[in-house]
Amino acid sequence: MSGARDSRFPAPVAVVGLGNVLLGDDGFGPTVIALLRAGWEFPAAVELIDGGTPGLHLVALVHGRDAIVLIDTVAGPGAPGELRRYRREDLERLPILARVSPHDPAVLEALAIADLAGGGAQTVLLVGLIPASLAMETTLSPPVRAACAAAAVLVVEELTRLGVSPRLRREATAPDAWWMRHSTENP
Amino acid sequence: MAIRLTIDPITRIEGHLRVDVVVDRGQVTKAWASCTMWRGIETILRGRDPREAWVFAQRFCGVCTTVHAMASVRAVEDALEMPIPPNAQYIRNLILIAHALHDHIVHFYQLSALDWVDVTTIPKADPAKAAAIGESLSEWTGNSRPEMKKVQDKVNALLSSGQLGIFQNGYWGHPAMTLEPEVNLLLFAHYLQALDFQRQANKVVAILGAKTPHIQNLAVGGVMNAINLDNVATFNMDRLWMVKGLFDGIIAFVQQAYFSDACALGGLYPDWFRYGAGVRNYLAVPDLPTDGAATAYDLPGGTIFDGKLETIHPIGGPRDEWWRAGVVEDVTHAWYQGAGAQQPWVGETIPDYTDFQDDGKYSWVKAPRFQGRPMQVGPLANVLVGYAQDHPLTKRWTDLALQRVSAAARRQITVDDLQSTMGRYLARAIRSAMLVDLANRHWEFLANGIGGGDATTYVPPSFPRGAVEGVGFHEAPRGSLSHWVVVENGVLKNYQAVVPTTWNASPRDEQGTPGPYEASLLGNPVADSDKPLEVLRTVHSFDPCMACACHVLDADGQTVATVKVL
Repeated sequence: MSGARDSRFPAPVAVVGLGNVLLGDDGFGPTVIALLRAGWEFPAAVELIDGGTPGLHLVALVHGRDAIVLIDTVAGPGAPGELRRYRREDLERLPILARVSPHDPAVLEALAIADLAGGGAQTVLLVGLIPASLAMETTLSPPVRAACAAAAVLVVEELTRLGVSPRLRREATAPDAWWMRHSTENP
Repeated sequence: MAIRLTIDPITRIEGHLRVDVVVDRGQVTKAWASCTMWRGIETILRGRDPREAWVFAQRFCGVCTTVHAMASVRAVEDALEMPIPPNAQYIRNLILIAHALHDHIVHFYQLSALDWVDVTTIPKADPAKAAAIGESLSEWTGNSRPEMKKVQDKVNALLSSGQLGIFQNGYWGHPAMTLEPEVNLLLFAHYLQALDFQRQANKVVAILGAKTPHIQNLAVGGVMNAINLDNVATFNMDRLWMVKGLFDGIIAFVQQAYFSDACALGGLYPDWFRYGAGVRNYLAVPDLPTDGAATAYDLPGGTIFDGKLETIHPIGGPRDEWWRAGVVEDVTHAWYQGAGAQQPWVGETIPDYTDFQDDGKYSWVKAPRFQGRPMQVGPLANVLVGYAQDHPLTKRWTDLALQRVSAAARRQITVDDLQSTMGRYLARAIRSAMLVDLANRHWEFLANGIGGGDATTYVPPSFPRGAVEGVGFHEAPRGSLSHWVVVENGVLKNYQAVVPTTWNASPRDEQGTPGPYEASLLGNPVADSDKPLEVLRTVHSFDPCMACACHVLDADGQTVATVKVL
């Protein structure tokens, strides 16, 4: 990608980690974002976003990009910790469900709405993970924890393919997954 | 013949709103609202530093991030009885206003417009006529004929491609969809334009809050925006003018497009002022404090009982005893241990799951009650509570809305008619119009504060030995939100969040009294039980938020409604 686009707003490539960090393995997406930030340096054309669970507000994060990489938990057949890749055409085959609340997962809808508004991304990759536990806790289950590094590598490979590859840090910093820090019991 | 309809979009995934209704001869005769996921935030927050509680609180829910962050710092500040610097108050207020406008715009257009607008009629519309209708409604610049034509072409292309995308599960051709094609085209054009203004509102939050969707600038004691007019790296006049410019665009869209559209929708679907009143007790908390100690607010709070505006009882602030002593949560019909009601500071959240029992426990949502009664919260409560107190800004926009709706409906629509499904849509637009006026006012407060040389935005908190209790409230987009904290020796001992959707989606209480969603569905028409559009209209009018929403993308996908003959 050309250097001229590096200063574009919003950045042409967005990597969005989705999920709720208070719900166990649902924190997978934000955890991978923290890992990426700690291990690599990214060109200005790439924006890393800990997106949380934005529901329909995801539209604002994906609109106007050339390419997006989403990292999220998915419900489907497979063992906990298994990673799956979905491309645009795979996602387009899934039905968009009628929504009751704005919080229902809105990945497919956000992509469709951004398209309709003329700001859809040409290239979409969703790195999906089968979760083991979505209980109210701030840590990941062992199989999911083990899958995070592989997911980060999938993201790096995709960015390289897109011509905006990040640079491995000489000295990796500790990932800032602050939600996993322990409480201040007995301070 | 009665049938039971269960609306539960993603039954394999936890954390969603499930609505069950019994429909008899085309009308809802019984209703249950249930949230399908357990949450107990105190299990995560107990033992933590109260200064970092807001960082976790803003993760309760990915759409309402900012509102939980704000209620959390306010709760700890209330426990410490500490005022914050005035500039901090105004920066917080501007963030809250931008967030609320973003949320209300998304609700009207992306979440609910397609309950009323049949996009499949758009190919039949005459773009010139659509433009003329738009011009008759307001001076909005996005209503030109070429714009209407462009949108129509887009819809035509989508419909003929067979890839329906966001349109694939609309209840198209439903007998309750009655707008003419040109009005559908006009509203859908605004649906697309709305996306630009959401991004602008988002930018305001990003500039003031350092980041979206999770702001970074809050602190117990103020905000972390360093103000230095001579330093470009800090918050300065340039940034302030950037915020002003963004607000100006949003103001025009809200007052000329959104407000006009909501009035037109009400005028063209006047029957919906007759359905959906439900619980006629209303609660709103005051918000947008005008000074650092929050001795005065720009949005008034209070309670109304039995739909009678004359019962108004103002709420002056978080220390008002009417408010502080009034709130309890009942777990009789919720999947938690115990029975009856508890005050939030001593509240517990110990799961006790049974199956869905119609007459027993059936939801993970507790039932909040105020002075023993279920309360409806949200923009409608906000508007009625202000109107009942003759709040000038509320009166001005409400009266204008009623006048426009009445003209379009060719009959008198009164403030009492707002207690309905359509009233909730209209009240959200009225509130949005008020908020943009207040955005200007609080921007001026901040500009004057900074211009006058006051650069203070933060005072450090100090925690006493022993236990202190606090409550932080916020009149959020979906209504009154409150966080209740107990801090002991500088550490969180208890934490309960009483969120707007628990007020509105609450199950029955000890007396068997249903909550607002449940009550509002009674008497709703249902023309076609396979397409329960009317039920969704009323549920959507509350802008539901199961704050517990867990974000798993469903790679299979299932039907939204199941129907069972009783």
